[in-house]
Amino acid sequence: MNARIALLGQPNSGKSTVYNALTGSRQHVGNWPGKTVERNDGYYTYGGARYTVTDLPGSYGLSGNSDEELITAAFIKTGQADLVCILVDASQLERSMYMVAEFAAMDQPAVLLLNMMDVAKVQKKEIDHALLEERLGIPVLPFTAADGKGYNELKALLARELEKPHKLASAPELPERSGGAEAGAVQAESEAKYRWIQAVLAGVARSRQEQFTLSKRDRRLLSPVLGKLACFGTILLGFLAAMVICFPMMWLGSMIPQLLNRPIAELLSAWNVHPWLVSIFSIILPNTLYFCVAMAGFVFGVNLVFGYLEEIGFLARAAYQFDSLLSGLGLQGKAICPILMGFGCTIGGACGTRVMDNWGQRMLTMAVVWAVPCASIWTIIPVISSMFFTPWQTMLVILGILLYVALLMTIVARVFRRALVPERSRSGMIMELPPYHKPHWRHILKEAFFKAWDIFKRALRTVTLISLLFWAFSYSGSGNVADSLLYKVGTAIEPVTRVFGLGWRTFMGFLSSAFAKEAVLGVLNAVFVGEGTVLDATFRSVFNAATDNAVLGQAMTGVVSKAEALAFLCACTFNIPCVMALSTTYRESHSLKWTVRVAAFYVCGALALSCVVYHIAALFL
Amino acid sequence: MKLTETKPEQHGLIRRIGGDAHFASRVTAIGVTEGTPFQTVRNDRRMPVLIYLRETLIALGREDAERIEVAV
Repeated sequence: MNARIALLGQPNSGKSTVYNALTGSRQHVGNWPGKTVERNDGYYTYGGARYTVTDLPGSYGLSGNSDEELITAAFIKTGQADLVCILVDASQLERSMYMVAEFAAMDQPAVLLLNMMDVAKVQKKEIDHALLEERLGIPVLPFTAADGKGYNELKALLARELEKPHKLASAPELPERSGGAEAGAVQAESEAKYRWIQAVLAGVARSRQEQFTLSKRDRRLLSPVLGKLACFGTILLGFLAAMVICFPMMWLGSMIPQLLNRPIAELLSAWNVHPWLVSIFSIILPNTLYFCVAMAGFVFGVNLVFGYLEEIGFLARAAYQFDSLLSGLGLQGKAICPILMGFGCTIGGACGTRVMDNWGQRMLTMAVVWAVPCASIWTIIPVISSMFFTPWQTMLVILGILLYVALLMTIVARVFRRALVPERSRSGMIMELPPYHKPHWRHILKEAFFKAWDIFKRALRTVTLISLLFWAFSYSGSGNVADSLLYKVGTAIEPVTRVFGLGWRTFMGFLSSAFAKEAVLGVLNAVFVGEGTVLDATFRSVFNAATDNAVLGQAMTGVVSKAEALAFLCACTFNIPCVMALSTTYRESHSLKWTVRVAAFYVCGALALSCVVYHIAALFL
Repeated sequence: MKLTETKPEQHGLIRRIGGDAHFASRVTAIGVTEGTPFQTVRNDRRMPVLIYLRETLIALGREDAERIEVAV
């Protein structure tokens, strides 16, 4: 037997906790057919039988306010699940029962999980679950998803219900709809649903409207000025924490090429393997592995921190604080965390977008995060800038870049908003600020680990492919740059790249900046000073930035004009962040089309900027 | 009066929800329906309005809160 159970619940109902606890590591992430919405399936075995669990996407209802809600409604309606497990928050029973009222129209078998009984108990809310069960006609299980107990009881209940399913005994009596979905009709239906909920809950739970006072922490965190500063500081701390967490993994990853490069090269050379293959196996593959380990490390760290911040309820507060600011860009307030993370690392920013409500918002946020210059860029901008400009001028360059960041974010949002966040789904913030929860570390750790492992597996292919492509272009049998395909193509198209203000050497630097910002100095060294091959420079400089900047500076200033240098700095900064960010974006968005679109936009945008900057600067410098 | 004109600590009832069907659907799904008692918690300039309703702390964007008529 292989039964399918679907999990349904509002945000903050603890759905993902239950999903992860039930399925453990037996999870599969995919797409809903024809959609970019992420589909999560997992399974568990109980009593010798296998049960598939589908985590249904969505928000507060099933009325089709987003792709997510449409998918969920269609999935349930067509009976694709043998049993629907609905989660409600026992501490906000009346409001979260709305999902049950929405579900009632579907007429499918279900069980109800009264989650967060621990919170309800603390708030002295008593619930007569036996009476509720009697009224609803489906089993009702009081539950605390986060404490890890009670799952056997849940599995037994699910197994029993699959044998002998129950459907809801009653459904809201909806007023007859005349014509289309007018605002009035929608409201009348919702009111009927709440009336049904109140009738079902009469005598089951006391719902009283008491005086609500903000906790001391919330009074600070929600105040307009102090709160914003506190959010800012917390996110910064979070980023630092993520770095500290991922550092050991990145360090271990960096050991892979260092340890493997020479032995593999020597071994293969001794076997008289063709130098092509030697360089693939000794340079490309170990480095690809390193990139992916480093990426996974970063994704792990960021997910751990974000998971924590989301679970304790911080992210909702940050979203509240920055909603007005970001709604100008067409983004949700929640986008503040990924955007700030982007100043550290674009990969972190891209995977931090998983807190967004829907795919369009996620993709748009990722596109905007790409505009934010990551920490690695700041290791090359001052170095190259100071070769050509005085410290004051360098400050101006940096200021100019920062101003352009703000402009570019607006442009990106404008360009992609129409397609990603259509007018009909655009609306202001309507969000619950959940009470502060204690973090459940086991759950957070598990999720961060799965996410990191998933990215690692998936990125390996993309990064290997792009690395091989770069290898094919930069490989040179003699070790001389002039023998590489990159040189031949680069010099051949130099008349074109000159239009953008870039000579073939700086253009190579530009190309490498799309690969990894850390590779830029090494590649410049290879093409200007002639030390080492572009290939070595690209892949090695990532962990061994032993470029002599003084020598490079001398070589560069001899060939490159100030205007070209300025154009180059702009082009590099606003190019595709790096191959790892690209691959993370693809994996997180599940959309090759959109990843390619955004990447093409950035390459073209960087070149256009470079062109403008060069021709204007050439007039003055 | 509009929800945006309420003051913190004020209690009231949701009177009328304006706007289109999409807005009505979203805002009622989180629990804001006509006749529901609520309490304003924070109402700062250029910030979403925070209300406490159906045992839940809810943030509503200012533009949306403008469309909600309340009685206090």
